[in-house]
Amino acid sequence: MASELHSQHTGNSYPSDQQSLRLRQDSSPVSNQNYPQFNWSSSPAEDEVDNSGPPRDLRSIPLPMSLKRAVWQVQQMQVPVVSKVESWKWKKTKSLHKLKDRTRGFLYFITLWGKTLQKIGGNFGGGVQSYFLFLRFLVVLNFLSFLLLAGFVLIPSIVFRSVGTSLQNSTGPEECMNYNPNPEGLVVFYHYFLDFLSGTGFMEYSYLFYGFYNNTIVEDRSFSYNIPLAYLFTAVFYFAFCLICIIARMGTAARVAVATGGSAVGNYSKIVFIGWDYGCLGDQATKLKQKNLHYRLQVDLEEERLRKQAAALTLGAKILLYSLRVFMFFVALGLIFAAFYGIFEATNFSQSRTGEEGILGLIFEYLPSIVITAGNFVVPMLCDQIALVERYSPSTTVILALLRAVFLRLVSLGVLLFTLWRQITCEGDTNSQDCKQCQYNNKLYPCWETRVGQEMYRLTLFDLLITIAVLILVEFPRRMVVDNSSNMLTQWVGRQEFVVPSNILGLVYGQTVVWTGALFCPLLPFINTIKFVILFYCKKITLFYNCRPALKTFRSTTSTFFFLVVLLFGWGLALVVMIYSLAEIRPSMGCGPFRFFPSMWSIVPTSFYRLSQVTQEFLFFIGSQAFSIPLFTLSCVVMCYFIALASVYGNSVALLRSQIKLEGRDKQFLVKQIEKLKQLEMPKQ
Amino acid sequence: MGNKQTTFTDEQLEAYQDCTFFTRKEILRLHSRYRELAPHLVPLDYTNNPDIRVPLTLIVTMPELKVCQGPSEGRHCWRLDCRLTVCLCWQENPFRDRIVETFSEDGQGNLTFNDFVDMFSALCETSPRELKTIYAFKIYDYNRDNFICKEDLEKTLNKLTKGELTPEEVALVCDKAIEEADLDADNKLSFADFENMISKAPDFLSNFHVRI
Repeated sequence: MASELHSQHTGNSYPSDQQSLRLRQDSSPVSNQNYPQFNWSSSPAEDEVDNSGPPRDLRSIPLPMSLKRAVWQVQQMQVPVVSKVESWKWKKTKSLHKLKDRTRGFLYFITLWGKTLQKIGGNFGGGVQSYFLFLRFLVVLNFLSFLLLAGFVLIPSIVFRSVGTSLQNSTGPEECMNYNPNPEGLVVFYHYFLDFLSGTGFMEYSYLFYGFYNNTIVEDRSFSYNIPLAYLFTAVFYFAFCLICIIARMGTAARVAVATGGSAVGNYSKIVFIGWDYGCLGDQATKLKQKNLHYRLQVDLEEERLRKQAAALTLGAKILLYSLRVFMFFVALGLIFAAFYGIFEATNFSQSRTGEEGILGLIFEYLPSIVITAGNFVVPMLCDQIALVERYSPSTTVILALLRAVFLRLVSLGVLLFTLWRQITCEGDTNSQDCKQCQYNNKLYPCWETRVGQEMYRLTLFDLLITIAVLILVEFPRRMVVDNSSNMLTQWVGRQEFVVPSNILGLVYGQTVVWTGALFCPLLPFINTIKFVILFYCKKITLFYNCRPALKTFRSTTSTFFFLVVLLFGWGLALVVMIYSLAEIRPSMGCGPFRFFPSMWSIVPTSFYRLSQVTQEFLFFIGSQAFSIPLFTLSCVVMCYFIALASVYGNSVALLRSQIKLEGRDKQFLVKQIEKLKQLEMPKQ
Repeated sequence: MGNKQTTFTDEQLEAYQDCTFFTRKEILRLHSRYRELAPHLVPLDYTNNPDIRVPLTLIVTMPELKVCQGPSEGRHCWRLDCRLTVCLCWQENPFRDRIVETFSEDGQGNLTFNDFVDMFSALCETSPRELKTIYAFKIYDYNRDNFICKEDLEKTLNKLTKGELTPEEVALVCDKAIEEADLDADNKLSFADFENMISKAPDFLSNFHVRI
């Protein structure tokens, strides 16, 4: 075997032509160097040096299998020559590799919904798959948050409540402490269902909402647990935990985006060489992929045409176009603000009519959710029509539509919260008549945190109900109509497309609501986990039964990063709400774990002074200048180091790129020289 | 898989395991799929390395197996061999002939079992980017001159869009693609140009793999 290999060793390290055609027959001597080769001339001794290498390297070599097996046999025969220690090391690394492969297989086995996601990716492409990946990430995030909250807040509360430890007593104005959420008298049966939907009644005074938790402070001989402090810190840590998860996930997406150097390489070569998905499943998917590629190429060609057209516009036409665009921008802005005003009025109306009975009461309570959902549906549709007039290039139109939709969703939630704030704190004026006594409006809101929590709870529930209702009442009938009637109109309308961006925004909106409400409704992450799991299965069903794959695809790698950025905006909004509630508004005196504190945050200084002297001094030291300034300087130094490293890498990439260019030109020059010399030689002979 | 008939000796399985990205079970499963293509041609016993080639015409008839439909037919999904359900539709895949030709030893598309395993190993999920780039370059290089020239690109483009673009559009796209990727200005793409372009595209790894 070994002699066979060595007989193939030729001068320029390229196997002879009698080898299989897989190792390309070279048409010109130059092109040999163009191609990665396996170095047959490497002596056997060199192979033994890095013994962890061989098993890995053999797989990654582009040789035909028969040759690889031959090399493998040679290596097997060489192993006994190596010393005992090295062969032991080699065997250990081999078994480590096997273990890694086996764990990878096992992880694939138990990954949540792994097979489903693969199927979705194969049939509908990477864009739709990225939506489901994002949804899975949110499910896991919410579940872990729930475990966090349950472990530090819920379970201790249950334990201490049942144990019956005494509460801290303090006094306050009588009217402020008046809070009676339990329903009075006989409750009609269907009221339970209405209460479940609106979070009032039997659900209000339960572990679901803030108002039920007590300000128990347990101090035993060896064990002490401060529920209000735990509540506060858990909420803060929950936000930090979510931030870390999002940033970690963004890190992987950003690394890819940075490594590819942005879109320095153009679209055409990418589409031609990388566009085809070799994992496409089925005839239909393949045909669709072809149509998709055709569409993408046409879009790019269209953009070229538009660019040429725009450059050829006369001055007058340009002025007209720009003024039209400015006007349309204001129209879109006006539509969005109209939606905000609608939400404002609806919230005011809903809050003024609380306490109504029956279905009408339910509708009044859900009025803000209804208006928000209607706004989120109608306004983007109108903005799409506006975009037709604006005549931007296709990619700009998509980005603009997304930005508008994000702005609409997040700010409408902000408007809802602002309206609530106005009513709770009497527009920030603590000296007005309603708010003078308790510094919040205790007539309307004896326990305002529970009320905010209820509003968030209703938003979450309504979102889920609307999704299921749209699924049953719109998507299934649409498919049945399109499939069974061959009307011109129905064929033009066609089957539904799974539009990724608006679905993603729905998820971001839902998660922002949960973050905002988690301080006031600790079980909300758990409810959200269940909601997202149901949503996953509903969307999967509708995808496979009702949708046709989209013609306009969504690029999956850069879009993951974009989704996470939008999620971060939502997190920022929720953070603002939390910080404000912690620091500025007086907690309700009638309910909740913070009832006798001037603000929620003030429990921290109070508990701080109960710590031992040593701990206090240590913590003071950490907060002092003697510690924080060196820390700050150190982190600046570390950051500068990384920035310098990044710029060095960037420079070396640019250098290598220019080196490739120069080598290509050198090659051409040398080939020309060779040919010239050949021509000079020929006439002589 | 539980069948005690010796299809391969242990040494052969070790060799396959080290030379591909598959485990023992997966290799046996691949062998049974290979055998299904031509049961009269392919022996069960491979211990003495028979030199059998399955012709191109049979390879491209590889039937598309039904993918496990999900939790409702959940029983079937939880077997490890389900992972190997080959979900590549050969009927309509425009690159099917090129892929099979690239991996065949004789260049005509007739695959021995070695080539068969090698093909799926190169296209699988764990195969590294460099290896996939090399094979992608081979697939797109129709005339096998180690360069992707304009004619190669035109053939690729026609296969991608099934001839729906006009000739002028095809020429325009090819020109632009070469312009974008060609670094050494020789109007065709060498392997270095191709590799440089591929390294900038994050979607390459996920697109260039057979979901098994």
